[in-house]
Amino acid sequence: MADWSEQHVRRLFWRAGFGATAEEAGVWAQRGRRATLDHVVDGPVEGRKLRGPAPRVDRRGLDPVNEWGDDVLWWLDQMLRTNYPLVERMTLFWHDHFATSDQDAPLMLRQNRMLRGHALGSFPALLRDVTHDPAMQLFLSLADSSKGAPNENYARELMELFTLGSGYGERDIRETARALTGFRSNWKDGRFGGIAFDREQHDGGVKRIFGRAGRFGVDDVIALVCDHPRHAPFLVAKLWSYFIAEPPSRETVRGLAATYRRSGLSIKPVVRAILEHPMLYRRLDAPDMVKWPVVYVAGAMRASRTFVTAGYPTWLLASMGQQLFHPPSVAGWDWGAAWLSSNSMKQRFTFGNHLIENGPAKVEKGSVKVTIGARGHYALAHAAVGSPQVSTHTREVLTHLAAGWFHDIPASWRAKAGWRAESLQRTLRHLLLTCPESQLC
Amino acid sequence: MPRSVQKGCDDFRQTSGAARARWLAPRLTRRQLVATGLGASFAIWADRALPFSRVLEAAEAEAAAAPRAPVLVTVFLPGGCDLLDTLVPVGQYGRYADLRPGTKVADPPLLGTTGLAVHPSLAEGLNGGVKGLFDAGKIGFLPGIDYANPDLSHFHSRHFWETGLVTERAAPGWLGRWLDHHGSSANPLQGLTLDSTLSPLLATASAPVAALDSPDDVALDVWGVGGLQQRQTMAAWDRLATPRGRGEGPQAAYASARLAKQVADRLAPYATKDGVDPLAPTVAYPQDDDLGRRLSRLAALIAQPLGVRVAAISASGQFDTHDDQPADLASGLSSVSQSLAAFQADLEARGVADRVVTLVWSEFGRRPQGNESHGSDHGAGGVAWVQGTRAAPGILTDYPSLTSFDRDDNFKVTVDFRKVYASLIEGWLGTDAGEVIPHAGTYGRLALTR
Repeated sequence: MADWSEQHVRRLFWRAGFGATAEEAGVWAQRGRRATLDHVVDGPVEGRKLRGPAPRVDRRGLDPVNEWGDDVLWWLDQMLRTNYPLVERMTLFWHDHFATSDQDAPLMLRQNRMLRGHALGSFPALLRDVTHDPAMQLFLSLADSSKGAPNENYARELMELFTLGSGYGERDIRETARALTGFRSNWKDGRFGGIAFDREQHDGGVKRIFGRAGRFGVDDVIALVCDHPRHAPFLVAKLWSYFIAEPPSRETVRGLAATYRRSGLSIKPVVRAILEHPMLYRRLDAPDMVKWPVVYVAGAMRASRTFVTAGYPTWLLASMGQQLFHPPSVAGWDWGAAWLSSNSMKQRFTFGNHLIENGPAKVEKGSVKVTIGARGHYALAHAAVGSPQVSTHTREVLTHLAAGWFHDIPASWRAKAGWRAESLQRTLRHLLLTCPESQLC
Repeated sequence: MPRSVQKGCDDFRQTSGAARARWLAPRLTRRQLVATGLGASFAIWADRALPFSRVLEAAEAEAAAAPRAPVLVTVFLPGGCDLLDTLVPVGQYGRYADLRPGTKVADPPLLGTTGLAVHPSLAEGLNGGVKGLFDAGKIGFLPGIDYANPDLSHFHSRHFWETGLVTERAAPGWLGRWLDHHGSSANPLQGLTLDSTLSPLLATASAPVAALDSPDDVALDVWGVGGLQQRQTMAAWDRLATPRGRGEGPQAAYASARLAKQVADRLAPYATKDGVDPLAPTVAYPQDDDLGRRLSRLAALIAQPLGVRVAAISASGQFDTHDDQPADLASGLSSVSQSLAAFQADLEARGVADRVVTLVWSEFGRRPQGNESHGSDHGAGGVAWVQGTRAAPGILTDYPSLTSFDRDDNFKVTVDFRKVYASLIEGWLGTDAGEVIPHAGTYGRLALTR
């Protein structure tokens, strides 16, 4: 890539994180492409950290285990305050990929911690921990799948959704289910007490999977699916679609799959290759990916330096169609255009009101002079919401709106109509945050 | 075994439909599905770019011109609702009890002399619930419904029912296709989901459709801005929503902004004023029940001249009863019975019941032989029903044999769901089924409505 501009930085920061502030866009455009990619992919040199004030809602800290909705706020806060956003974006990717839903909060938070630890690491290691994860085991009935009654659910999803997509048969699923038997859930007084492996319940016989025979167990299954020729193309194509709207060419998939295999099935090199790909930087002035609800929310909050101080993001995210820790099915959420309906757009619009009311983007009384002119009003609002990238069309529409805002007030009174200037600020900030253009990155 | 952690199902949770098909190369992906369905509708519709006032007028004129137009409501029971414990074959109780030692229902309320009975939860609600509706001649049951060589994946089977096509190819929904042929080009309320995201049944190729959580939560208000300034703001919103950019993402963003505005404008006259809610239910719906809440709002919207023609609603219960079926099925059916009984009474009180037929469906049935976890696994030959004052009453299809199963030990299917779709399109909506259901002629017809 010949050049590296603020627009490149903004595109990368949205796709690999939750957007760039004006300051970040400037700094990283200066430092160049390579340094920026190192920073985004490998994280800041000072290490992964949270910055900014810890969340407080209703004059208390968060209690993600016990308070309804605090689990969502807890993760949102990680997204808002992290200095290494790609880790959160990848944790989100794995939450969608290994979608687990409706399990007790402590188990879901434990799973979230596990996914974050593997976010950019080794896929086989991630898959091993997912397979042993209590929330997953309970969700897909792997717990208590026994020699006498092997449960095929996890085996089926392991191949269909987690690793291969195609290239296996019903017999492979049945035999894999046998190989995965032996996990027992412990319960005491109706409370979950962990998962243990019970050799007595494990089917130690010979299984035949993908044409190979052996007394396979859990580790063998993980090795078998990861070695399957369909695995690398399947996973790299899905990763690509997380970052780039246009589908990859066959040749691109081949190249990415080779990168992935060469690294020993490590996630970071393939993610880096996608983030470096020229396709990611096409049409920088015409974003074409729909922001996921939580990316939209976290991005708008980060840009306006708004932190978690109220509970509204929890229910608004659910209304927008994305309740974290509750994906709609094991297949995860539907991406892209499916995020947007008449209702979810209305909910994104409503979010603008709450954001402006509950953070630094709030319009304080007496803070705006009427006389700064339409462009001045626009510039003030634009800065207040974090100076997002805006098309000429949007800027013109909003400047035109500002120009007509005081028309019904006689000229001689206008200078004193501060309240009207404040309502203009609320409107401009709101539309900058919620307009259709801001749903895209 | 008492459990504090809910045990998840194999490959299933609510919504999301064919999401799994996304990554099943080389099949079309879910995102492509949306592109050919919903996304395309955005493209065609958005490019028309009628001014909103004209759109409103057109929609009102259409609704006013057809005040008696039939309405088809679908209610989805997600997860694969069990036939045996829902519609109990009491005439063969011994055989039934043998198949279901762990889940069998004791003393289910009888459906007259049909040899069948319903799960006791289906007698809950106003006027005796679903059983009361059956006794009053307002329900026709469709036992054994499915399709040949059933696919026992929730995602595949549900996609087939949603599209009316037994193929994994991407396609608009069957109700969406009907709207493409016979709907309005200007009224998104003609096809309604009462939910945050659009039901795949309603994905269209060209007709506008809407999702809404609640009709009293649709206004696009910027807090602290009113009157003339609010109107100016919305005029700016229209201009910001002018379609630009290429690809399904931009199309969806600009079109959904326009749809949101249109829905807000259409429903503005029905906002609560002076403490009076014009959309308030006329009967008591079950408390704290999502299905009841959705149906109460739907009944109110149908009764207004808003041009609602088809609606897709999801039940809130858990019908994927791999374990603990007695408890899960009882609570799921209780919600269904109470909600549907209230919905029917509400429609009747509003004087619109003769315009509305409801189809209750699920993506498949469950295996006749119960499993060892007091549950049942995915099977073929499920249960559906049509409901309404104009629905054909009784048991409308053959109950599958309890002794002779298919080669996978599942029920032998007695009616293809596409036969039911084709019959509703022709018999109720009054249009040619072949436009929506390919080879509709080959399925035959059932008299589902009167």
